[in-house]
Amino acid sequence: MTSGSKGLYLDDLAMRFGGVQVFEHVTFNIPPERITACIGPNGAGKTTLINAVCGVFRAQSGRVFLDGKSLDGIRPHELVRHGIARTFQDVRIFPYLTVLENVLIAMPNQRGEKLRHLFRPGGGVSTQERRHREDAGALLDAVALTDAANRPAGELPFGRQKLLSLVRAVATGARFLLLDEPVAGVEVELVPRVMALVTKLARVEGRAALLVEHNVDVVREVANQVIVLQGGGIIASGSCDQVLRDERVITEYLGRIYDA
Amino acid sequence: MNNLQVLAIGLGLAGHYALVAVGFALIFATLRIFHIAHGTVFITAGYVFFLLHRAQGIGLLPSGVFAVAVAALLGLAIDKAVYLPILRRGGGMFSVFIASLGVSLIFEAGFLAYTKGVVSVARTGMLDILTAGSVTVRSLDLAVLAIVAMVYGLLYLWLHRTKVGLEVRGLTDNGPLAAVVGVNVDRTRTHIFLLASALAGVAGVLTAYDMGIGPDTGTRTLFVAVVAVILGGMRNLLLGAIIGSVALGILTAYAGFYFPEWLTFSVFITMILLILVRPQGLFG
Amino acid sequence: MEHLLYIGSLMCVWIIVSVAVNLVIGYGGMMTMGHAAYLGIGAYTAASLNIFLGLDFFSAMAAAAVAGAAVAALTLLPLLRLSGFYFALATLGLNFVFFDLFHNLAPRVEGSEGLHGLKLPAALASADTRFVTTLLITVACILAARHLVGSPFGRLLRATRDRPEAVASVGKNPTACQITIWTVSGALTGLAGALYAATLFYIDPTLFTLNASILMMVYVGVGGLASIAGSILGPVLLIGFTESLRFVGLPSQFLGPAQQGLYGALLIGLMIFRRQGLVGKHDFRE
Repeated sequence: MTSGSKGLYLDDLAMRFGGVQVFEHVTFNIPPERITACIGPNGAGKTTLINAVCGVFRAQSGRVFLDGKSLDGIRPHELVRHGIARTFQDVRIFPYLTVLENVLIAMPNQRGEKLRHLFRPGGGVSTQERRHREDAGALLDAVALTDAANRPAGELPFGRQKLLSLVRAVATGARFLLLDEPVAGVEVELVPRVMALVTKLARVEGRAALLVEHNVDVVREVANQVIVLQGGGIIASGSCDQVLRDERVITEYLGRIYDA
Repeated sequence: MNNLQVLAIGLGLAGHYALVAVGFALIFATLRIFHIAHGTVFITAGYVFFLLHRAQGIGLLPSGVFAVAVAALLGLAIDKAVYLPILRRGGGMFSVFIASLGVSLIFEAGFLAYTKGVVSVARTGMLDILTAGSVTVRSLDLAVLAIVAMVYGLLYLWLHRTKVGLEVRGLTDNGPLAAVVGVNVDRTRTHIFLLASALAGVAGVLTAYDMGIGPDTGTRTLFVAVVAVILGGMRNLLLGAIIGSVALGILTAYAGFYFPEWLTFSVFITMILLILVRPQGLFG
Repeated sequence: MEHLLYIGSLMCVWIIVSVAVNLVIGYGGMMTMGHAAYLGIGAYTAASLNIFLGLDFFSAMAAAAVAGAAVAALTLLPLLRLSGFYFALATLGLNFVFFDLFHNLAPRVEGSEGLHGLKLPAALASADTRFVTTLLITVACILAARHLVGSPFGRLLRATRDRPEAVASVGKNPTACQITIWTVSGALTGLAGALYAATLFYIDPTLFTLNASILMMVYVGVGGLASIAGSILGPVLLIGFTESLRFVGLPSQFLGPAQQGLYGALLIGLMIFRRQGLVGKHDFRE
């Protein structure tokens, strides 16, 4: 895999906090149209990995390439424009905006956000806004949030906020979605909807997803490739079957979670 | 008017600021309250002192002591009647700040109506003048500095030798943590407001005696003290207040003589620049 | 009657200001305590252009709005890096900085502290036309603000107020949004400053001090944060009330202090009991 390939390519990433080397020598590619899962025990650095890709913290070494171009120096709000959107483990939806507004705000290229279009008659704002509302409505429907559309998002229970943050990231239209534990806390009956949504994104819309996950069943269902992050590095990677049968993975990671 | 003279005047002013600054810093550093009404406490003491000593002819010491006591109680009352209710209802630093502004508005309005804006000087007699070379000072200036030095000495002992003082230093370092470790935050809070307000009271008495006070002297002095505190930092309460007060005393003295129409501008530009560049103070 | 029209014009001016200030505090989440500076810039720009350069007053008003916007943007940029409380404190300092600037540098008519001698067009020359014109301009400003607030930009603004980092994570620039609303607010305030000059016929620096900024805070606070209706209600109720004090028989020397004392009490009461104001839709969340 070279830096000229298509996809979100992490090249020898290393991250250090204080005196702790969280991980190093992390190299893998997130190809488009595929779902990549990253599993590993708590504290292995999975969220830190997403943070490093998004430039939240500066990595000690290594670089990230998007379709061959380095992401160095890109400011946080520019990531979506370049094609990367992420979710947060602790959700971070806009509590005083309604559920629908939380999705609407993520839609890119809104004419209504620019003053020069707002105050020009025939600026096309309401037409576009109507279309966005339809699209947003469809997304809410996909995760069974339609009934809550006009409620302040802060009133929702955690699991539903999780779903909201997922569709909010999807609404950005970014080609690469970095999803941090998208089903943790979500009601069991709704998990299949998440899997269906993510699968559709990849297969139908050609987008890529990186799923940071604990839930091995979900991983087994949807992931095309799996990376196992543990003990400061990648201990296994490959297809689902390969990884989940890997001796090292079973003893050091899977064995533990099935015991728990 | 030579530079040395201006410097001397600046140091005299610094003495007045130093008492207000340290009290303000004490409250802000421990309780995170931006107590604008501290200026109100300062000026109320001045007016009480004026009323008793100048208007009623009561002796210097009893008037002064009474005025300081009034100040101490007023400061405490403001905390109990205004700040605590806000904090208990989920308000934070901001709401308290605005309410403090409200308190100062009310009192300033009262003094404005009562005095019709005239400056009140509490002193009844003339002052002795001393000359050293090209510098002239009044005996009062030396007395003020002596009082300030004495007060600071007592403050130092209080902070380092008493139980409450140690708790206060604990709060300065880490408010919420101190509450957990068993510091009686409520009682310490009372001590802090009483003490800081008393200090402002002393400053008010001295200022009323020396230069006289007007309805807006409280807020003016308070803001200079704020800039002094920002400049000196709150890592070392006493040292920071002294350094800041001396700097501001010299600044206001120089501005007062060389560019008085830019005095206010200078003080507040300094404040804004300090906030921008180093909000923890030059020594914080 | 002419006095009533005068009060009406004054209410209109303060409605525009309150809407402008509410845009940044209630909708934008940025505490401003120094907007009096922009009011003064607007007033002085319009008055100076009109008196000394003979510019017709409507053009002078437009210039006042531009000046207000420009100065607002300029004063905001260095402060953007400051966190909420220090930001507010710095804006508080702006009042005093600009007072001395107005006092020392602003033009004045020979022999007086301020400016007078505006050459007003027919639409602003007499008390009744002035009220009608001012009212129309106020209504236009209110409608514009409502349009802004209900638009996708308004949505972005509220999100920026609540969670700026999350705004970045959906690909929008929170800082650009803050600069935009602050500049719009500066323009509105500058415009109001021009109308203020026309209403009073006379301006001097003492009109644009911390007291004016506090008035703005009280009007907005009483009316309610994040509510355009509140920004109409606040000034109308409070100016109406203070005017009625005149008829209660209060000696005129007490009028000013009484108003100040009342506003102080209101601020305290609001902070303890009702931070969202009368019809506000937002609270300071700290």
